[in-house]
Amino acid sequence: MSDRRLLLFNLLRGLAAILLALAVATIFIFLSSDEPLTALKYLLVGPVVSFKATGNVFNTVSFLTILAAMIPTIFSGLAVCVMFSANQFNLGGEGAIMLGGFVGALLGIYLHLNTGLHQVVCVLAGAIAGGLIMLIPAVLKVKLGASEMVTSLMMNYVVMFVILHFLNFVFADRTKGATQTFPILETAKIPEIVANGTKLTWGFVVALVFVVIIALFMYRTKWGYAIRMIGINQSFAQYSGMQVGAVIILSQVIGGLLSGMGGSIEVLGRYNTFLWRELPGYGWLGITIAILAKNNPIFVPFAAFFIAYLNKGCDLMATYSDVPSEMIDIIQAAIFLFFAAEQFLAKYRQKIVVRNAQRDLALQEAYADQGDLALPNVAGSQGGSIS
Amino acid sequence: MIGDLLLSIFNTDFLFSVIRITAPILFAAMGAVIAEKAGVVNIGLEGIMMISALFGALIGYWTQSWLVGVLGAVVVGILLALLIGFFAFKMKTDIILGGIAVNMLGAGGTIFLLYMFTGMKGNTGALVTRDLLIPTVNIPLVQSIPFLGQVLSGHSVLTYLAFLFVWLIWVILYKTPLGLNIRAVGENPNAATSIGVSVEKIQYIAIAFSGALAGLGGAFMSMYYSQGWNSGMVAGRGFIALAAQAMGRGEPLGTMLSSLLFGFAQALRTKVSGMQGVSSYLVSVIPYLVTIIGLVLYAISTMNKLKKRQVAAKGAE
Amino acid sequence: MEQEVIVEQEEVVEQEDFVVQMRGINKVYPNGIAANKDVNFSLRRGEIHAIMGENGAGKSTLMKILFGLEQPTSGEILINGQPVAIHNPQKAISLGIGMVHQHFMLVPSLTVAENIVLGMAPTTKSRLLVDYKKAVQIAEENAARYNFRIEPNSKVMDIPVGMKQKVEILKALVRGAKILILDEPTAVLTTQETTELFKELIALKEQGLTIVFISHKLKEIKQITDRLTIMRGGRTMGVYNTADISEAEISRLMVGRDVVLKVVKDKAQPTETILKVRDLEYTNRWNKKMLDKLSFSVRRGEILGIAGVEGNGQRELVEMLFNLNTPDTGTITVCGESIINQPQNKIRDRGVSLVPEDRMTYGIADIATIEENVISDRFTDSRFNKGPLFNVQEIHSECDNLIVDYRILAKSRKQQVKMLSGGNIQKVVVARELSSKPTLLIADQPTRGIDVGATEFIRNEIVELSREGAAVLLVSADLNEVIELSDSLIVMYGGKIVAYFEDTSQLDDEVMGEYMLGLKHQTEEEIAKVSYE
Repeated sequence: MSDRRLLLFNLLRGLAAILLALAVATIFIFLSSDEPLTALKYLLVGPVVSFKATGNVFNTVSFLTILAAMIPTIFSGLAVCVMFSANQFNLGGEGAIMLGGFVGALLGIYLHLNTGLHQVVCVLAGAIAGGLIMLIPAVLKVKLGASEMVTSLMMNYVVMFVILHFLNFVFADRTKGATQTFPILETAKIPEIVANGTKLTWGFVVALVFVVIIALFMYRTKWGYAIRMIGINQSFAQYSGMQVGAVIILSQVIGGLLSGMGGSIEVLGRYNTFLWRELPGYGWLGITIAILAKNNPIFVPFAAFFIAYLNKGCDLMATYSDVPSEMIDIIQAAIFLFFAAEQFLAKYRQKIVVRNAQRDLALQEAYADQGDLALPNVAGSQGGSIS
Repeated sequence: MIGDLLLSIFNTDFLFSVIRITAPILFAAMGAVIAEKAGVVNIGLEGIMMISALFGALIGYWTQSWLVGVLGAVVVGILLALLIGFFAFKMKTDIILGGIAVNMLGAGGTIFLLYMFTGMKGNTGALVTRDLLIPTVNIPLVQSIPFLGQVLSGHSVLTYLAFLFVWLIWVILYKTPLGLNIRAVGENPNAATSIGVSVEKIQYIAIAFSGALAGLGGAFMSMYYSQGWNSGMVAGRGFIALAAQAMGRGEPLGTMLSSLLFGFAQALRTKVSGMQGVSSYLVSVIPYLVTIIGLVLYAISTMNKLKKRQVAAKGAE
Repeated sequence: MEQEVIVEQEEVVEQEDFVVQMRGINKVYPNGIAANKDVNFSLRRGEIHAIMGENGAGKSTLMKILFGLEQPTSGEILINGQPVAIHNPQKAISLGIGMVHQHFMLVPSLTVAENIVLGMAPTTKSRLLVDYKKAVQIAEENAARYNFRIEPNSKVMDIPVGMKQKVEILKALVRGAKILILDEPTAVLTTQETTELFKELIALKEQGLTIVFISHKLKEIKQITDRLTIMRGGRTMGVYNTADISEAEISRLMVGRDVVLKVVKDKAQPTETILKVRDLEYTNRWNKKMLDKLSFSVRRGEILGIAGVEGNGQRELVEMLFNLNTPDTGTITVCGESIINQPQNKIRDRGVSLVPEDRMTYGIADIATIEENVISDRFTDSRFNKGPLFNVQEIHSECDNLIVDYRILAKSRKQQVKMLSGGNIQKVVVARELSSKPTLLIADQPTRGIDVGATEFIRNEIVELSREGAAVLLVSADLNEVIELSDSLIVMYGGKIVAYFEDTSQLDDEVMGEYMLGLKHQTEEEIAKVSYE
């Protein structure tokens, strides 16, 4: 059958899901706003266009801030890709990111190292912290069969409150009004690629490098292969001789490492002190991104860009019109539902399949007319058109 | 300090608050029980509670009736659950993702909706006035029993309803035709299909039940517990309900006990955080930690049972 | 020619009393498989009608369409002359159609009575609660009416297979079925159970029921049916009165040629013992003893067959041999080393391969590519890895070689396995398991449900492997296969070995049948001969 047509169909289907989600958003905007057109304008084109009396121009700074916003979500998206590929519904990304950010910040404050080395140490420490915390749901799942989903959700709260405790009672800078740490040393800060205040740091480059690394890992290494096979069919993987338990743990630890790394890079690149007082939300965004990317790391940056763009659009919409920025959650939920819906437009897919099968059938009849005993074989050669 | 703690635990106020804190979790946990029995994972309980809580408060305010508010919350809960169901059963979205989507609506969508309807941001402020709260009742005879009366009497109507539902869900599951169908669908959907019981219909019913129960939990939160809606108020209770269901082996009674355990931990947190030299943050960890530990203990006990059974089988030869 | 036969019959038939007519049924599954192609099928009132065909011929699909479990892509269905749309089983049931599936559709933790009334449970006066006593009464009354023996209060998980089937039939009858579809009902039954079932079916026919009997067992068909429809490759090959058609003719129509599945093989030259199983015991979770003091050996260069009706411990035995389950007591050694509780990669390292019974569960990862499926046991080999990365070239050539060597018919190595036909999926599994040159191959139902071409190919590959020096343990419920392929064989019944035949060349079905059904068993001494050192 023509796989290419199916591929094209899948692409169009994704696009349709996104458009439908935006349509839902539009309806809500018209329902809630007195100036819906302004709101829509800012939501859809505001992120990259500045509206001026002299005409509309491409807003480079704004575009760069969107790229900057992708840094943590590329990491969390990659993390979810790896974990979901192994069929592990670990939702602990939130906690791992916050922990990675906190650990990275502390080392950035209290450790004295040369710049260059300092960032590397901080980010690695953040990553390791994220990896270690994910060991808990992973090991409980493998050794005891406890649902990683439930334990990881609970872990998020545990991590958050423990961090808040340390932030408030141990590491707080009492000279400041708000609860925050002492400033992160300059040697530990991740600099911007171009110093223009967009916060587009070298972390963005690191994130893209990790996209490549994780893509290679998932599709070109034995570990990634094992993760994917376990995700498709765990019984098959076990029977084939894969170390299923170890790989399941590995997938979640890698998810934790990536989340922790994303958290520390974000904190060291964006802030002067550690000041997250609640879970940052990047973990959930990561899930949306992984869904949009169909768990394929290569698509993660595109999905992350799309989400960052929408986020920016929602912020602008909230600033320049009367629609609250939380609109983003409604759009995300709608994308989630439609994009992940296998049956969405499935009728059309079935039509393509049926048409192809009929064509195969005709071909096969042609062979059969030649009148030998090859019927079963010819049938098979048409790519499984008959059983 | 330990002495103080013991004293403060075994007093009527504390035990009263355990029951009060348990109630919303119990609602959602019973929702998890009935959904799970039909083979449906409803991870959207958290979001449903949030949204129902908001609508309970709003509808109560608009109609100036707490009862209509509660009913509104239930309806909203059912609708959201059916939304998850529609996408999961009809559109074949992974049900966990469907649940997460509703949780997103619960987190940010509520703020948006609140603004859309009232122009308020973040909380309902003064909308829920005292006479719009779910009323409390004193139980005639029980209230005069010393100690017990002070613990058991004087709760809100919904608190009693929560515990009543434990029994009700048990009856539904084990004594009614619907329950028979639910268990059949959860255990062997093909068996149900083969004799004309629609798996989809039963799963819709089960998830609608779970939505209604989560809706009651949400109404309890905004119209009694927190006396108004605010954006951080459900705080993972929907997730904890899932944990309670797992810990309670999916049975109503067991789930009630694990919900009570969580209620206890939460009440302890409130109690202890008032004490000198105790970090309120660390104490806040208790309920979540207890849940994890509970899950671990449950998992270990399941494993041991399996082992024991194997040993017994071998010993019998 | 066959086309003409159909036309002739249909002309006659117009005036007859048909309960079911299916016309021009086409069915294309979402994975592109066309399971029914322009199929015509009709049922006369009060007949027992067989649908015959090989696995994959489209029989089950056709019946699933009639029962509303699948929707036809095109075509029409008439019940009692009225066109109907059967969207779901409820609709089918309301039209008086009942179906007993090959795999039982029962809820194990519910009682027999509860299973029978499921979906139509009697209620107490309040109409809210189930009236369990009444449910038991309904079950008992119906059982008595049709002369079925059941235990209404037992949980389904505790009752034997034969009774489960009766529960299934009762479920349909209680719902007022006038048309009963039985999908390979004898596949899981012993001969006595089959005989009993046939008596009951004839009694049902006498009470006016119409029965559809799906099978590919010729003898049964000749014994019990009035008419038969033969299907092949998704098409109808003709409708016949059972009395008018010979077994040879049916067979020819079913498989399209005179299939003599004689396997040509040299005499085995067994050498040293590879697999040694001693005193294996296992009791399952419902306290049923599945393996009872099982001992046997398999030597290099021979094929040892295990015959037996399904459910007599074969599945459990195979699970133990690959550590997918743990025995209560006993030992399993391969080349002298125990494999109990060894991880599967260690077992494979010892040279053990398994062609699993359930290929969709264990054999393949369905949405992965052919390539990803054939390397699942060897992807960590150094030749497939270059540093941390895969050696993609090497993997491609490995896969391409296997596709050629094992005649896997596919468009490319990147095709999803689930898009292949059943026979080709099994070839993917066999390619992987045989190409690793195992010391011990365990082949569990290696050709179940696949086309003749693939079956022959796989059987020959297995023989070749054994003649090259592998020990082969063949488990098969297909009597023909197990006798033809094995050098020696054992028969399992009730978790025990009840017979051992050193030489299979003189075995006949009848003798085997008596052992398989537990009517006979050999002495301990005779059986012990299979436990050589």
